[in-house]
Amino acid sequence: MANILLLEPDNALANVYVKALEQAGHNIACCVAAEEALSVLDDFMPHVVVMELQLTGHNGIEFLHELRSYPDSQNIPVIVNTNLAPAALRPLLEVLDRDLGVRACLYKPRTTLQRLMRIIAEQARG
Amino acid sequence: MQAHRSQVGDIELLRSVAEQLKTPLAVIARQVELGELAGDMRLVDTAAIRTQATTALTLVESYLLGLQLLYEQTELILEPVSVSSMLVDVAHELESFARQYNTRLELRIAGRYEPVMANHRGLKAALLSLGYALLEGYPLQNHTLTLAVHRTPHGIVTGVYGDYEKLTNKQWRRALDLQGRAQQPFAALTSGSGAGIFVAQTILQAMTTRLRVGKHLNQHGLATTLQSSQQLQFV
Repeated sequence: MANILLLEPDNALANVYVKALEQAGHNIACCVAAEEALSVLDDFMPHVVVMELQLTGHNGIEFLHELRSYPDSQNIPVIVNTNLAPAALRPLLEVLDRDLGVRACLYKPRTTLQRLMRIIAEQARG
Repeated sequence: MQAHRSQVGDIELLRSVAEQLKTPLAVIARQVELGELAGDMRLVDTAAIRTQATTALTLVESYLLGLQLLYEQTELILEPVSVSSMLVDVAHELESFARQYNTRLELRIAGRYEPVMANHRGLKAALLSLGYALLEGYPLQNHTLTLAVHRTPHGIVTGVYGDYEKLTNKQWRRALDLQGRAQQPFAALTSGSGAGIFVAQTILQAMTTRLRVGKHLNQHGLATTLQSSQQLQFV
């Protein structure tokens, strides 16, 4: 069982992910925007962050820069699960991987729950 | 054939629609998978599947209607339309979707408004697309979306408004420029491609009007100005 911070701007999709993660026994904090997710970190320290990059207000990259600026969240594994097509994501991969410590980048429309759950479990185990 | 816009504009609109369809289709696929994974189909939220499928179909139908109205002039029949009763219909259709997005729908149609000249199907499709897009694209929980009509010296204004930050004319023009070319043309307003908004704009353009940024009481949103039907002024 792990603490998962889910940053998903679409409410209908977030509901499915939350149900699936709860079924797998995880504790979930679900946020729709970066600002909200950052404030949640005061009370909920996640073992894994699962997030979309396309957010309102601050985008996902800005969120990750801020997340990594706090000593206690510098090493939290982050999984990007995004609607950005792989071709659009490619130029960002180096920054996400090298500078922001993103462990996996998934294309949301093609990522099954099963695959997402497996990767979350792997990352939560460290 | 009318030449309102370029083929490039049509391709960008199509791209924007395709991009937007990813979300409802992903919700449907993941919902079914959730039931299969747990071996318990009772976990599947069938209401969510139905609503998401309806949204996707509405977007596709509105997109096709927009192109039809633009390019096949015979389809563009303008008739007297009661905006107030149309807003009641639109609110009814948006209701279950709004619930899924924890949004309260409000109607502000008090007052007597004469019918406007519009294409009935087109105006309804434009308002529906706009409503869906703003509900889906604005991820704040527990907010209110208002469907409203009011009179100005320029005509009858109808639109969809929410508790959004003020959308400026500059942001709106920028979003129109970025349509189909950027993942998030409305950086402050929506997390998706905003296809429903562009589809609404296309339909309204075919009716020689357009969307513009608007404010109603304390809410901001997008609205269109329609002209009263002179035919029924004396009825």
